[in-house]
Amino acid sequence: MITTIFKKDLKLFFSNKKNVVLTFLIPILLISLFAFAFGGISNESSEDKQVTLLYADFDSSSTSKKIKAQLDTLSTINLMKVTLEEGNNALVKGKFSGFLILNKGFKDSLLLSKKLPITYKYDASNPFEAKMLQSIITGVVMNTVGSQLYMHKVENYMNTKFKTMSNNLKQRILADISQVSFKNMASTTAIIEAIPVIKKSSNTGNLGLIQAVAGTAIMMLLFSISGVGVGLLEEKESGTLSRLLYTPIKTTSILYGKMLATLFISMLQLFTMFVFAWVAFDLPIFKDVISLILLTIAVAFSVSSFGVFLVSISKTRQQLQNLSTILILLMSAIGGSMIPLFVMPSIMRKIAVISLNYWGIQGYYDIFWRNLSTFEILPRIGVLSLIGIVMLLISIPLFKRNIVSLTN
Amino acid sequence: MIKVFNLEKHFGSVTAVNKISFSIQKGEIFGLLGPNGAGKSTIIKILSTLLKSDSGNVFINGKEINTNSDECKKIIGVVPQEIALYEDFSAYDNLMFWGQLNGVSKISLKQKIPELLHLIGLEDRKSDLLKTYSGGMKRRINIAAALLHNPKILFMDEPTTGVDPQSRNKIFDIIETLNAKGMTVVYTTHYMEEVERLCNNIAIIDKGEIIAQGTFDELQTQCDLNEYILLKTPNATDLAITMLQKTIQLPIIYEKSIISVQCKPHIHLQSLLNNCKRLKIEITDIQIQKTNLETIFLHLTGKQLRDY
Repeated sequence: MITTIFKKDLKLFFSNKKNVVLTFLIPILLISLFAFAFGGISNESSEDKQVTLLYADFDSSSTSKKIKAQLDTLSTINLMKVTLEEGNNALVKGKFSGFLILNKGFKDSLLLSKKLPITYKYDASNPFEAKMLQSIITGVVMNTVGSQLYMHKVENYMNTKFKTMSNNLKQRILADISQVSFKNMASTTAIIEAIPVIKKSSNTGNLGLIQAVAGTAIMMLLFSISGVGVGLLEEKESGTLSRLLYTPIKTTSILYGKMLATLFISMLQLFTMFVFAWVAFDLPIFKDVISLILLTIAVAFSVSSFGVFLVSISKTRQQLQNLSTILILLMSAIGGSMIPLFVMPSIMRKIAVISLNYWGIQGYYDIFWRNLSTFEILPRIGVLSLIGIVMLLISIPLFKRNIVSLTN
Repeated sequence: MIKVFNLEKHFGSVTAVNKISFSIQKGEIFGLLGPNGAGKSTIIKILSTLLKSDSGNVFINGKEINTNSDECKKIIGVVPQEIALYEDFSAYDNLMFWGQLNGVSKISLKQKIPELLHLIGLEDRKSDLLKTYSGGMKRRINIAAALLHNPKILFMDEPTTGVDPQSRNKIFDIIETLNAKGMTVVYTTHYMEEVERLCNNIAIIDKGEIIAQGTFDELQTQCDLNEYILLKTPNATDLAITMLQKTIQLPIIYEKSIISVQCKPHIHLQSLLNNCKRLKIEITDIQIQKTNLETIFLHLTGKQLRDY
């Protein structure tokens, strides 16, 4: 009897595709994604691991060229030469994480044992990558000029404190010092001036809070929009959608009406989330209201179109629920809603651009963290709007086709 | 009012409507009678512009429906088989919504909705959510929602499905009232008593084809039918039925423990019972069935319209 029940339950379980997908496929996909995100997959090619470091060399001395050449030999670094303005802009917009500036005066600073004329600017919204780059730069710099730097210090010290010491002995001591590797000493030595780059603003938000609010709000919005889609398919099943078609209203008008309602609900949900974050966590939502409104409309539009697209390709509620669960979890994992993008490897950050979540979250970073102007966030708004338009254009014929199949 | 020529509709390899033609006059209640799956709903969907036929033409008020669908939609109302309403809206809000979608102004609806609620006898429940209504009450709102734009033709696709006898009678009253005011009604059902009560023109449909059409009297004449004696038996063998038929020389159909004998009961009843006794056919119930649509359908198709 027990085996009969056991067999029956197994049969029922495996005959339900949704169960099978949720039990096996989704966890496998998420494990794969998280493994990528946390570096669990070690067979990445060095190209995949490469991080771009912007640099500008104003010294053009043999020493600065040596540093550049050393960095070039590292497989993890992709050096990109830029002007000071280009580098600063790229960091401000969050396009790259680190910018190395080799200023003039290397030789003098080495001879006089002064702080090295190297500036490292970094994007504080990507702290892990920025710190990693800083550590690599420091190591390379110390490997290149560390012995010279310390030898000058020791020589000066000996000349001051041991004036009677023979030159022969001094040279032996300095020769011994030159054998020491300074690479590892660098990590504890603040030889490089590190400057986080954020556009000046009195009320920049907290990075963790922005990530939490934007990431969660967009992910939950996707889920609630799929709920609206379920409602539409309920209308299909209950016959109200057919009844709509008996009226003189056009099929596209039904779609646009639904789209408008979804858009409104989406905007309402997003604004409610941000107002809550302001009330509860002091997120500075009024610092750039126009940008916030425009970006939120763009996010709501793209998410609503995505919802309409899901409905258009689904014929039943169950189909929609399965599909939306898979796609939303994947997009949220890839796009930075579940795990912040700054802890992900560079390849994942490249893949993230296929996700709606990515564009939305980065847009909110632009407003609350990077303090970009409305004009500067227009490209992200444009991408979100474009995604929305494309989804909608694809959805129209699919929606009509599904309605026809419904009425058959 | 409605003219249908050679209408044909296939779903894959299934023929739902097979080259049917008929016409409906203004002010008629036209009944489409047939069993489930006969093609009634498909015909209604085509006539109401929801579905396109594969071939054939439909003219409403002289206008071909595919090329004048918007115009045709204005003069037709459709009561679908499902209760196609919003359960979380009140009756009033439902009617307001469907009225506006049919192009009726809010001002007109404010006048029209109370009239319709009065007609269907639900004016005192207008503010209640639909989900609190009984099945019969929802059916009445379902009808009212099709009347908001004053259609000239009303298509009703099995509008009494699942309702209690009291609500069914109320629905019949509504239809008769509307018809008395000049509305043409196209009514589909598999309940022959509904068609007998309401319809003055009837098309009997089976497997997508119209197998008979006319008024009830015309159908009776067409079929040249006698009345029926229905004998219920728990134990008749095929051999006994064959023997009985040979003996009495009358048309017999034996289906689901019922022997249907087409005859004149006052002449044949006694000899029928005597022969059953002789052939050891045990009879547990006897019914005399006068000619009705059920018997006409039985005569035309060799099967019953509904299961007993």
